[in-house]
Amino acid sequence: MLAPNDPYATNSSLIRQAPSAAYLFGTDNLGRCVLSRVLVGARTTIASTFFLVAVSFLIGIIIGMLCGFYGGIVDDILMRVADLMLAFPQMVVAIAVAGILGGGLGGAMIALGITMWTSFARLARSHTLSIKNEPYITAARLQGKSGLQIMMTHIMPNILEPVLINALTQIGTTMIGISGLSFLGLGVVAPQAEWGSMISEARAYIQIAPWAVLFPAAATVITIVVFNYLGDAVMEYRKAE
Amino acid sequence: MIVLSGRDLNKEYISRDRKVRPLQHVDFDLHQGEILGIVGESGSGKSTLLKVISGIEKPDSGMLYHLDKEYTGSKPEKTGKFLQMIFQDAYGSFDPKMNMEKSLKEGTASDRNEIVRVIGEVGLSEDLLDRRPRHLSGGQCQRMSIARALLSHADVLLCDEITSALDVTTQAQVIKLLMEIRDMENVSIILVSHDLALVSMICDRIMVMKDGVVVEEGKTEDVINKPSDEYTRKLLNSIIAV
Repeated sequence: MLAPNDPYATNSSLIRQAPSAAYLFGTDNLGRCVLSRVLVGARTTIASTFFLVAVSFLIGIIIGMLCGFYGGIVDDILMRVADLMLAFPQMVVAIAVAGILGGGLGGAMIALGITMWTSFARLARSHTLSIKNEPYITAARLQGKSGLQIMMTHIMPNILEPVLINALTQIGTTMIGISGLSFLGLGVVAPQAEWGSMISEARAYIQIAPWAVLFPAAATVITIVVFNYLGDAVMEYRKAE
Repeated sequence: MIVLSGRDLNKEYISRDRKVRPLQHVDFDLHQGEILGIVGESGSGKSTLLKVISGIEKPDSGMLYHLDKEYTGSKPEKTGKFLQMIFQDAYGSFDPKMNMEKSLKEGTASDRNEIVRVIGEVGLSEDLLDRRPRHLSGGQCQRMSIARALLSHADVLLCDEITSALDVTTQAQVIKLLMEIRDMENVSIILVSHDLALVSMICDRIMVMKDGVVVEEGKTEDVINKPSDEYTRKLLNSIIAV
């Protein structure tokens, strides 16, 4: 809606045009409006990042609560799986998985999500362990509440805040991950507009048309910085409280 | 009538490579409408006994009965139907994210009117129901714990050092309240405390524990006036010395 031009319309007479009043961010190698592609790419990059973080958060917090609350063999197995995931750098695992799954945004999200839930699960588990022996949990058990009810009504609300703040700080990393995989050709594929794939496409002619790399790169950096600051600010606010 | 009883209760665990036996062949009986005091110094096993009675921990051996019906090994979800616990940490016994009304409603089908009536019985006003625990005083929070126990219509209240975190005036108020409730509702109470003076004031019977063993048990006046065990005498002497 905000894009001034069709982000997918090619025009051979407008190839690699420098930024001007008509095309504020210039045009790319196929004459497409870079500003429109950056704006449409924001939707792809930010929406997929939010979706991925939300799904990983949900899976992680549920697994973490179950492990922390019930313990036992399920906890042992799931936490060893998490250890295994954390033993490798996230991007290395993501590249390997995305390579196996082939290109596409879905594949990139699965590749990143495979390791991302572990940090939420670990955090949720440690917070669950620290509160599960609180007297109010014992009181709830004596009031006849089942394990599931206690997890939903007492544990979840009390561990939500720190895990949610962790999710905020993960947004920047996830965005780098999605853009990185797209840059490597393992994420979003052309012609779909996405910041990482735009940088990847335009780097071939960076010396002739640097704006085609500069603007999506700047958008990526600014967005990551904003979300990191947001995470830090919320964390500071919580500490001050 | 015996409401609650335990026979030959044993519990042991390993702590820092050392075998600890907080309960060794413990027997007890709790009669209807009675206040039974359990005294002993830290590590004597009195709090473990409450955890075992309430089902929070399982005994390694021994039997527990409620109205002659065995319930050994039952989880707190089941034992909560006939007993409730009042904790030392009154603030910690309420979810910090919930207001008092929600917390009190948790284990009961009672409506707001019934809750207001019961908190009135423990000397609290309706406006406190909208507050979270951190916005109450220690004494108010402890009274709310007692109200919660009453709302669940339990026969037995297990009180674990319930006055130790309160100031002297509030301690007296809470103890007075506990006695009133016993008289009004005819509930039976087990009061765990390291304070023999307090226990001797309000309990009908006293059980003295040391290193997981019940060293003396009997009517309050007998235990206080004619202690048969050396350890009880030491405890009594320490009060007199103070």
